[in-house]
Amino acid sequence: MSVATHSARDISSIESILRNIGPYNEVPDEYNADEAAEALRTTTVLVIGAGGLGCEILKNLALTGFKKIHVIDMDTIDVSNLNRQFLFRPKDVGHSKAEVAARFIQERIGDEELKITPYFGKIQDKPLEYYRQFGVIVCGLDSIEARRWINATVVSLVDSELNNLIPMVDGGTEGFRGQSRVILPTLTSCYECTLDLLSPKTTYPVCTIANTPRLPEHCIEFASVIEWPKHFPGRKFDADDPESVQWMYETALARAKLFNIQGVTKQLTLGVVKNIIPAIASTNAIIAASCCNEAFKIVTNTNPILNNYMMYAGDESIFTYTYAHSRRPNCPVCGNMSKKVIAKNWWTLDRFIEEISGKQEIQMSSPSLTTAEKSLYLRNPPNLEQATRPNLAKKFNTLVRAGDEVVITDPNLPISLRLTVEFTGPEVEPDDVNSSLM
Amino acid sequence: MLIDKESRYDRQLRLWASTGQTNLENSHICLINATPTGSEILKNLVLPGIGEFTIIDNRRVTPQDLSGNFFLKRQDLNQVLADAVKANLSELNSEVCGHSINRSIISILSEESHQFWDQFNVVIVSDYVPQLELLKEILWNKKTPLLIVNTIGFYGSLNIIANEITVIETHDPSRLYDLRIDKPWPELQAFVNSIDLDSLDDTDHAHVPYIVIYIKALQTWKVDHNGSVPQNYHEKKLFRSYIEQLSRNINLEANFIEASNSIHRALQTTGIPISIQKLFEKVTAANESFDASTPIFWIFIKALKRFVEKNDNQLPLPGTLPDMASDTTSYLCLQTIYREKAWKDQELFTREVIKVLEEVGRSKEELNRDSITSFCKNSQMLYVTSGSKKLYSSSLIQELLNSSNDAENDPYNTLGIYFAILTYNLFIEKCNRSPTLKDLDLLEILFADNILNRSSVPSSVITTFRELLSHNTRHYHNINSLMGGIASQEVLKLATAQYTPLDNLFVFDGIRSVSEKWKI
Repeated sequence: MSVATHSARDISSIESILRNIGPYNEVPDEYNADEAAEALRTTTVLVIGAGGLGCEILKNLALTGFKKIHVIDMDTIDVSNLNRQFLFRPKDVGHSKAEVAARFIQERIGDEELKITPYFGKIQDKPLEYYRQFGVIVCGLDSIEARRWINATVVSLVDSELNNLIPMVDGGTEGFRGQSRVILPTLTSCYECTLDLLSPKTTYPVCTIANTPRLPEHCIEFASVIEWPKHFPGRKFDADDPESVQWMYETALARAKLFNIQGVTKQLTLGVVKNIIPAIASTNAIIAASCCNEAFKIVTNTNPILNNYMMYAGDESIFTYTYAHSRRPNCPVCGNMSKKVIAKNWWTLDRFIEEISGKQEIQMSSPSLTTAEKSLYLRNPPNLEQATRPNLAKKFNTLVRAGDEVVITDPNLPISLRLTVEFTGPEVEPDDVNSSLM
Repeated sequence: MLIDKESRYDRQLRLWASTGQTNLENSHICLINATPTGSEILKNLVLPGIGEFTIIDNRRVTPQDLSGNFFLKRQDLNQVLADAVKANLSELNSEVCGHSINRSIISILSEESHQFWDQFNVVIVSDYVPQLELLKEILWNKKTPLLIVNTIGFYGSLNIIANEITVIETHDPSRLYDLRIDKPWPELQAFVNSIDLDSLDDTDHAHVPYIVIYIKALQTWKVDHNGSVPQNYHEKKLFRSYIEQLSRNINLEANFIEASNSIHRALQTTGIPISIQKLFEKVTAANESFDASTPIFWIFIKALKRFVEKNDNQLPLPGTLPDMASDTTSYLCLQTIYREKAWKDQELFTREVIKVLEEVGRSKEELNRDSITSFCKNSQMLYVTSGSKKLYSSSLIQELLNSSNDAENDPYNTLGIYFAILTYNLFIEKCNRSPTLKDLDLLEILFADNILNRSSVPSSVITTFRELLSHNTRHYHNINSLMGGIASQEVLKLATAQYTPLDNLFVFDGIRSVSEKWKI
């Protein structure tokens, strides 16, 4: 096997891995070192996200023989990225992450064969066809919605006749913890199958915020949920605008003073309103390396791949847990069964939507609902929205029968979720002491 | 462009706060061998802002270094390796001061006095170094933690060699709150007594915080049960009904529902955790040896022991409350009662610390308020461990043999990976070169004769050796970066003195993506 030596950066660091067939290789008879080296050179890899994980992923791919890389990120560089996103310098603040990262890697590696194509924008901008060119996709995202979108897209590309599935490796971190996983669309569990594994976002009841605040967080939520819309109707809060943040902080502080609550700081305010997740370079390095190790094995066949989920925790000693997460038969993306939900008899359609969209395994922000016979509620276009709006106030059990299938879609996700509805409980809502306290 | 540290470090300050950051900025980390793994470790430490780092390596940059190390540029080829890596890492953070020493570890060990090592808070060895035994001995005596990181092919290992590690701010993830439901102090009892559940209107009744509910319910229980608290599962279940009986409607009153759901908080017994009792025993055993050089941690433990003896066998109250359904006034009242008791305990504890310091002829000037507060808040969750300077023990070898017997047909052996790496380094020591697949037999003999001390090597271990030699690169970047991340995370924990470090051997298998750990 020949090892390229024409450029200053050769692949001597992975030569023995490609050349020798190890005892754990699962396809020793078919394995061919030259083919493995060629696969690294010719496979086009997509990296989604050029942030904390993305910087690491790009570096790892470039140093392990990959030559054709695309990278997508819609974000620009912020000062708070510099403690871990090592491809960025203070002078880069405000510029596209994807573009700066691609340029930095190309310069540092200095290999004419290496081509990194950045795209400064959203993954949703690209047509379905665009995604077919990739041999493997590595995700380093912080958004659940983007992950669900790419997951559903990659699953939809599978044509069982063509045997054309695109393996996807997904990483995520939070503080000292993280996880990496391999998704073989339609063969292993997909991202949507494991939506219920996510820890739910901390929320505070409105009556606590409005009437009985106890924590500084309650005061910040009051400023954000109740005061902001009152003072700036129709204007969305922008957490990146220092003046808006300052207003939020001062409003929360005034609320806290009124109730004698201590602990409202600017740092906490930012944390609550931006939903900031702590992040450090070392955790990103661990998870990104694990993801790229899997991508490397997928493309080269040098060793078996992760089956299919590894959890990592580094805050109390070092702990990993690796297991095969099984597919969910009623997964709206890769499954084919509908999911059973229980509705209360007294619920209106509006209440049903509210209860359903907040569920851990559903999480839809603007759902539209239809049954086989009719549209229950549609967000778009405006005339249909208007036509279906009166349904919201109607009792849900007058619109569908027990056992009916309801299909839920959301414009932000290429998913249609099928639910089978069952009804329980009295026809009239029981008295609730909490609602009288509001 | 001027960047304030608070913005730059925002995402990490949320993990270790300014106290951790200050510790980090005062630390000096030494790396021996400017390998890709070593460079990755330093990258992950320069970014969050360690104070200083020093790289010791006397080699020049080869094409192979360039092949797997991101912190080398093409023009660094043939230049001094330590200088080049230092320069490229320094770009990441202008606050960090980097040094490079272009000398071999052998020359430093033979020419420098042991004081040379005093400047470092943590020393890291990446891959093979000669005279590791001598280096370990020096650092062990200086009580400086030594990390040994090895990567070969898909495998990685990490040892932490430290004679003692103590942590106050462990950030215990179980988040147990010390509420003293079973031992209310007079002020808390008075507050509970001041609330007469029967006379409250429905709104107020549904806003009584569960601390009050628990204390009332537990006192009723004690009257019914000869003064004892719920002991077994059955009684604990029965106690739930005591809580529910106090409610006017257990399906509707949010505070009572919460009380019923969080019942474990009511049933926590106030006392000294076994882990802390063991520390007290250590203090008693070492009574004579307290002197001017005793670490402040142990001064605190001795003072804590005396505090407990004088305070009804109770630790200082941390004084923090979980959120709970309540009206604002009652919650804030409770918060004040807990906080004031915590302050009072801190005062009493401080007096004990001063006495201990005086007894060993030390000044109370070395005390600071923040460290006392932090110690008192965390006194239930203190972490102490004693390490070993050995790379393996007879019990670890026994475990290897047992694990091979238990799973005769399993070709994988995680502990075998560690011994394969040790043998790999032993081969370099003996033969002055890295082994290849051709050396499999020789490696096996080395292992059997020098480590195992018996002739038959388990088959899963031989398979592991074969994998190691098949893919014998030390520069496979994914494992370099992964182990670099893991080692740097341990350095962060040691340097910030927060979170619980590894104790003390970790092995990663990149084939199955699994890891295991052992204590030597």
